[in-house]
Amino acid sequence: MFLALKEMARAKTRFGLLIAAIGMLVFLILFQQSLQNGLLTSFVGAIRNQSAPVLVYSVDGQRVIQGSVITPDLEQQVRADPDVGQAGRIGQGTFTTEVSSGERFDATVLGYESVDLGAPETLTSGRYPEAPGEAVGSEADADSGFGIGDMVTIQPGGYALTIVGLAQDVQLNAGPTLFTVYDDYVAAVRSVNPDALDPLPNVLAVAPAAGVTDAELVASVNAISADLDALTRADAADNTPGVSQVRQSFNVIFLLYGLVIPCVTGLFFLIITFQKSGSLTLLHAIGAPAGRLVSSLLIQAVLIISAGYLIGLAIYTPISQRRLGGIPLRFETNAVIFWAIMLMVLGIGSSLLSARRVLAIDPIEATTGGGNQ
Amino acid sequence: MTNVRKVYRMGDTDVVALDHAELTVASDEIVALVGPSGSGKTTLCSIAGGILSATDGSVVVGDEEITGYSDKQLTRFRQNRVGFVFQSVNLVPFLTARENLLVVDELGRRQGRPARERADRLLDELGLADRAKNLPSQLSGGQKQRVAIGRALMNEPSLVLFDEPTSALDTKLGIQVMELIRSEMKSRGTAAIVVTHDERITEYCDRTVHIIDGVLAA
Repeated sequence: MFLALKEMARAKTRFGLLIAAIGMLVFLILFQQSLQNGLLTSFVGAIRNQSAPVLVYSVDGQRVIQGSVITPDLEQQVRADPDVGQAGRIGQGTFTTEVSSGERFDATVLGYESVDLGAPETLTSGRYPEAPGEAVGSEADADSGFGIGDMVTIQPGGYALTIVGLAQDVQLNAGPTLFTVYDDYVAAVRSVNPDALDPLPNVLAVAPAAGVTDAELVASVNAISADLDALTRADAADNTPGVSQVRQSFNVIFLLYGLVIPCVTGLFFLIITFQKSGSLTLLHAIGAPAGRLVSSLLIQAVLIISAGYLIGLAIYTPISQRRLGGIPLRFETNAVIFWAIMLMVLGIGSSLLSARRVLAIDPIEATTGGGNQ
Repeated sequence: MTNVRKVYRMGDTDVVALDHAELTVASDEIVALVGPSGSGKTTLCSIAGGILSATDGSVVVGDEEITGYSDKQLTRFRQNRVGFVFQSVNLVPFLTARENLLVVDELGRRQGRPARERADRLLDELGLADRAKNLPSQLSGGQKQRVAIGRALMNEPSLVLFDEPTSALDTKLGIQVMELIRSEMKSRGTAAIVVTHDERITEYCDRTVHIIDGVLAA
């Protein structure tokens, strides 16, 4: 500890720069982790956080709600499946909406037949719709004219919806999202296109019968017809087109960061180990056990990574409370813990290369000046 | 040191660096070890100080027989029983003069306050009390060598090994350092071997031993 701390105290700039570099990388990792989760949540939060345990798409829909259409025949077959306990229609449309300020937004309207089959699972404030013309809005858009009590008008047509409740993380396609009862959804479609026939449901929200698991229900529904594509709620969110690609892209970025940090730390310690090899040889020659010299190196690695991590965390924490464009960011506790452990392991691992060099020091080099080479 | 041999394997041939060396140094004696480059001076010193192990023979320092010691035992021996002043690198650059002395305690038994008092006393004796907080880069060549002598004495050694202690100093400073070495060794009753190829140094020693091609000659 003595040697480790004294050296750091006497080379503040050198160690400070490394700490700052690690801090910056930690910030970037955590920020991008929040960005990834925020991005995915704003794209598929409405699927992940709705109440139906299983969603049934038509195969042609390619796992996009709006692209899927459940024909009456398919709906009847699903409802007749003995493994299905409850089933309800879900319809989705994207409409131009006008808020009370006169501003217009493209918003998604999701209509459900039962609160247990397609409404937001929990509300952060307000209540579920009880009367025609009421809707639950996405909390992230509350300040844009989609707050409780606000009236939103579907354009053209002028069908009005009043927000009576808000739910967190229920956006679809990164825009304002409204959950209404199914009849309101149909009314919204008709207001835009009065000549349209009753729209067919896009997906069916189903819950398993007693004693049937979600996975069994999925298998059972998929066995009914090759035109049906049943997915659990989590799978439906994860298999939405684009989600895995976004996740994959971020994972590549995280992998690169995961490589950069140990490379930076490892190279730094390797360079300073070479630079101070004369001192290390001298210390070993006068009786310092090699283990003591290695522990000094590892103490420095732990202190540098810890300090860098705290700096990165200090920058990340206030930024994680903000919104980036329309994407709400959030402090990702699990990511903070995961990366703290991961970076500590990687940092210590990378400094083991220097430790190996320290262990290889021959004290005889002190008599020849070889430690300086 | 009794009948000590050191043989290095170089490819297919054996190189004898030290050949049946016999050397006894009294507890307060200063011995000059003189010889040309490559004669085996440093090898002999390194074996006496536990930096190298002898191929054959017996080495006893004080009352401790170090022949056959493992690397770990030799490290502990160097930590507790021997002081070193090397020719080239002698001080840790990121430690102050005082800390360069205290590092000996940090590596060993960690006595704490007694060690700090001892370091201060040694620096005072060596005329470096006002330089205690200076880094090696802020010290002159003579001051650096005096700090190295202080460090070599920190663990109250039985034997101090000086490897060309004046080679980097001018004549005047070299004389000052040798006078200091002599007074410190004699006042403590500590044995010392001074490796040199400079015959002028020998007048500060009690006895001179010559070494040529690994063979000692009185």
